[in-house]
Amino acid sequence: MGAEAIPRMPVPLTAEQVEAMSQRLIKKHHVAIILLHWFNATVWLTELATGAALISSPHFRIAPYWYISMVQGFFGTRAHMLQFHITVGLTWLVVFLVYGIFGFRTYLRKEVVDREVKLDGDDWRWLWVRTRLILKRTRESLPPQGVYNAGQKLFAALVYTMIPVIMLSGLVMSFHLVSTSLVQWAIVAHFAAVGMIVSGLIIHVYMGAVFPEEKPAFFSMLTGMVNELYAYRHHFKWWQEVKMQEQVWKREVLEDEGEAPPAAPPGPDWTAEAPSPQPHSRFGAVLQRTFRGPEYWPPYVAGVGLGLTLLASFVIMGEGLGASGGFTRYLVAVLAWISPHYVAANGYWSEYAQPGQSPLINFLVFELIGVVLGGFVSGWLAGRVRFAVDKGPRVTRATRLAMALAGGILMGFGARLARGCTSGLALSGGAVLAAGAWAFMLAVFAAGFAGAYFIRRFWL
Amino acid sequence: MSAPFSDSLSMTAYLATAVVLGLFFGFFLERAGFSSALKLTAQFYFKDFAVLKVMFTAIVIAMLGIVYLSLVGWLNMSQVYIPATFLWPQLLGGLLLGFGFIVGGY
Repeated sequence: MGAEAIPRMPVPLTAEQVEAMSQRLIKKHHVAIILLHWFNATVWLTELATGAALISSPHFRIAPYWYISMVQGFFGTRAHMLQFHITVGLTWLVVFLVYGIFGFRTYLRKEVVDREVKLDGDDWRWLWVRTRLILKRTRESLPPQGVYNAGQKLFAALVYTMIPVIMLSGLVMSFHLVSTSLVQWAIVAHFAAVGMIVSGLIIHVYMGAVFPEEKPAFFSMLTGMVNELYAYRHHFKWWQEVKMQEQVWKREVLEDEGEAPPAAPPGPDWTAEAPSPQPHSRFGAVLQRTFRGPEYWPPYVAGVGLGLTLLASFVIMGEGLGASGGFTRYLVAVLAWISPHYVAANGYWSEYAQPGQSPLINFLVFELIGVVLGGFVSGWLAGRVRFAVDKGPRVTRATRLAMALAGGILMGFGARLARGCTSGLALSGGAVLAAGAWAFMLAVFAAGFAGAYFIRRFWL
Repeated sequence: MSAPFSDSLSMTAYLATAVVLGLFFGFFLERAGFSSALKLTAQFYFKDFAVLKVMFTAIVIAMLGIVYLSLVGWLNMSQVYIPATFLWPQLLGGLLLGFGFIVGGY
C-alpha cells in the first residue's frame, strides 16, 4: 500500500487491492493469548462435563441419568469426580492469578480494558444496526469496528465479570468457607454465573466454528494471523491502527538507514510485549536478568533448583518426580472409558484401573499438568514461547517430525519395559540409589552416545 | 515431624501439591534449556553437557537431602518409594529409550 494516505472510512476496493490484501497476513493474537484461550477452553469443557454430572439431585439435575452415571463411572466414585472438578478449578484459578500478576502491566490493563471491553459510540451504533439487520429492518452498513466488535466486547465483559464470581463461589463451596448460608448462596451464584457464560458461549462457539464469515477469526486463534482483507472488512478501525503503526515503522527505517525501505517490509508486531522499563536497583537488575533474560540458567543453578524440587517431592509425597507413568494413566483412563472390560482383562492395565478408583486420581497425572504450566511460565518470562520445529540444518521438517514419532515410540516402549523413564527411573530412582535405576541410566547414555554416531546427519 | 506427608493430606491437597511440584519441575527443566531438542542432543555429540550437569547436580542435591533428613529422623525412609530392580528389562529398556532419545530428540 506504500506511503499513501490511510482512508478515514472504508472505501470500495479495486480487484487488485482485494487480491493483494487477501494474500497479506497481519498478526492478531500473541502466542500467549492463543495458549491461554485453548487452556481456558479445555478447563471449561472438563469443568462443564464434570459439573453437570455433579448435580445429581432430582429437583435440580440438568443432565440425564445415563450421562451422570457414565461420567461417574469414568471417575469411579462421585467423591473422586468432585476432587477432580475442584483440582482442575484450582489449577485454573492459579493460572489466571499468575497471568494477572505477570501480565497486568503489559497485557491486562491496555489489552483487556481498552481493546476487549470498553464500548465506544461506534460500538453502540453497531449493536443497534446489527440487531435491526437481523430483524431485516434496515440496509444500513455496519459502523467500523476495532480489533473486537461490539458483540465480542459484550461477551468479553460478561466473561470477565462472571469468572471472579465462579472462582470465589467455587472456593466457598470447596472449602465450606464462613457459614452454611454463605455456601448455599455460593451454590446459587456458581450456577447462575456458569449459566450466563454458557448462554454467551453458545453464540461464541457458533460464530467461531460455524458462521462462515468469521472463519478467519477461528483460524487466527490457531495461527495468530488474519488476512488483511478480513481485517479491513470486519475490523476497520483496527486495520487503520495497524497501517498507522506500519507507516511509523517505515519512517523510522528511512531515518535510520537514509535510504528507501525494503520492498516487502514485515508486518508490524504490535502484540509483542513492550520492552520492560529499566529497573532502578541493582537487585532489580539481577532479578530482571535472571527471570526475563533470554539466556538459559547455568546448568548447576538449574540443577540445584531441580534437586530441591525432587527432594521436596520425596519429603512431601514419598516418591520422586516422573513423566511416563502419568502418560500411561491418561492412556488407561481413555481405554477404560471406551471399554472397561478390555482394560480389566489386561494384566498390566488393570493394575492402574482398580474398580471404584479412577486412574487419573494420581500424583503423576496432576504433576504433569504442573510441568506443562511451569515450563510455559518459564519460557514465557524469558520470551522463548513460539511455535517451532527444533531440527538439524540438513533435514526437512517432515523428516524431523517422522523421527520424533519413531523416537517417541522407542522411548515409550523402553520406558514401560524398564518401569520408568529418564525422570521417574533415572532421576528419581538414581537419587534413592536404586540399583536398577543406575543400570538403566548407564544403558540410556550408552545407547544415546553410540546411536548418535549413526544418525549424525540428522542433527549436525 | 515425620515425612512423607502424603497419607495425612486430603485428596484435594494431595493433587494440588502434585500440580505445584510439577510447576517447579517444568519451570527448572525449561530454565535449564531442556525444551530444546538441539540442546538435548548436543551432549551426544560432545558439544554441550548441560543435560548431564543438571541431572547429576539434581541427583546429588536430592540424595544428600534425603540422607540428611533421614539421619536426623525427619524422613521415614521405609515409606519412601524406591523403584524395584529388574536388571535385564531395565538395561534393555534403557538401551531402547536412549536410542529413542537421540532419534526423537527429547
